[in-house]
Amino acid sequence: MIHVLDPTNEMKAAGIAQAARPSSLAGKTVGFISNGKEGTKAYFGHLDRMLREELGVAEVVWRTKSNYSAPADAHIVAEINNWHAVVTGVGD
Amino acid sequence: MNLSIKPPLTSKVYDVTDFSSAQELYHSNGWTDGLPVVPPTQAAVQACLDWALMTPDQLIGIEPVREQPITAEKLAINAVMAGCLPMHFPIVATAWAAMMQDEFLLHGTTSSTGGCAVLVIINGPIRLEIGANGTFNALANSDRATAVIGRAIRLALINLMDVRPGGIDRTTLGHPGKFSYCIAEDEEDTTWQPLSVVRGIPNDGTSAVTVMAAMAPRQIMNEWTTDPKEILETFAAEMRANQRHYSIYGGNYAIVIPKQLREHIQGAGWTKRDIAEFVYERARIRRAEWADVGKAAVVRDRGESVYTALDSPDHLLVVAAGGPAGGFGAVIPPWMGHKTKAVTAAIGVCVDCEPPKG
Repeated sequence: MIHVLDPTNEMKAAGIAQAARPSSLAGKTVGFISNGKEGTKAYFGHLDRMLREELGVAEVVWRTKSNYSAPADAHIVAEINNWHAVVTGVGD
Repeated sequence: MNLSIKPPLTSKVYDVTDFSSAQELYHSNGWTDGLPVVPPTQAAVQACLDWALMTPDQLIGIEPVREQPITAEKLAINAVMAGCLPMHFPIVATAWAAMMQDEFLLHGTTSSTGGCAVLVIINGPIRLEIGANGTFNALANSDRATAVIGRAIRLALINLMDVRPGGIDRTTLGHPGKFSYCIAEDEEDTTWQPLSVVRGIPNDGTSAVTVMAAMAPRQIMNEWTTDPKEILETFAAEMRANQRHYSIYGGNYAIVIPKQLREHIQGAGWTKRDIAEFVYERARIRRAEWADVGKAAVVRDRGESVYTALDSPDHLLVVAAGGPAGGFGAVIPPWMGHKTKAVTAAIGVCVDCEPPKG
């Protein structure tokens, strides 16, 4: 018998609780945080139209990170408090 | 610190019947790079910690984006799995501490579709102690020490940061350096300062590692001149090619110069600084050149803008390494411009380890 050790990080970082999900987006403000890559423009453009036309979103706010591989800039994160929902994490 | 009373290891223990069962346990849980691993027993892990004078819960660092703490015990488990001996572990721990500095951008570099690897460059007397070889086959399977240290970096990324293909690792292609990417500088056979000294580590026998988020090596050849400018023009041309074909933006490039070409450059009295300043001037392109390689769509109205491969000469890492014969060299490009920066750290510098005075 060999006793071997778990190589994974059993000490997980403290997680972050999910925000409450809105029951409807009608009349709400939705933020986009783009990584700024070329392919995201068409994606967010299409999503912007869908949110406004099909789900009645009142306003869509577009923001772009200064470094596409790093977390969003602090001033963008601070703005999230003004939005009812945010779309981020979109890749190339 | 009293090490006579050893704090216990706290990782979960699995009981397996034999070596083969251990392999299946680790492979089936996604804990490997696909190759067999050395079963990390308590004794082997403890030996790594003892060698490095570390307690199991010693914090090597906290990854800044996902705020994941990395402890000595967990890193040592992955080092043992990679094949490390205890004497290799201080290098792995120092490299990881360096990787967790903000400027390295560990999360971005290891999750990106761009698919770089962590290049580890070892300097100082520790290279000789562990048998690292900076000569024949320097960028590949040159020796046991660099092979297992590079592998330990990747296994720890997989297991401690969930950097698995399709998981956190979103790489499109990757390159073979993601198995292991570690070299030692051939300090004994050059008149140049070691890379670590160029980057600010005291030249007093202090060993150090430099980590860089690096793409695959691009090999060059020029054995038809002894003129340093002509030799380095070939390196600069490869950097310009990388700017055209991959990324135009400036960042840390490494160039590896083996003995044959090195002796021509050294013989002409050129230092690493002279090399960096020459390459800085020569490795640059106009944005309009993108149109030559199928990227006309992104030239826009900035065709005459000039982009340097290096933001400054300081950003070139010149490494003396490689076998004694052959007019070859290598350019190792950065993952993505200056979004990440190479980090150099001294090995074994411990603020708590000074013996009591008086």
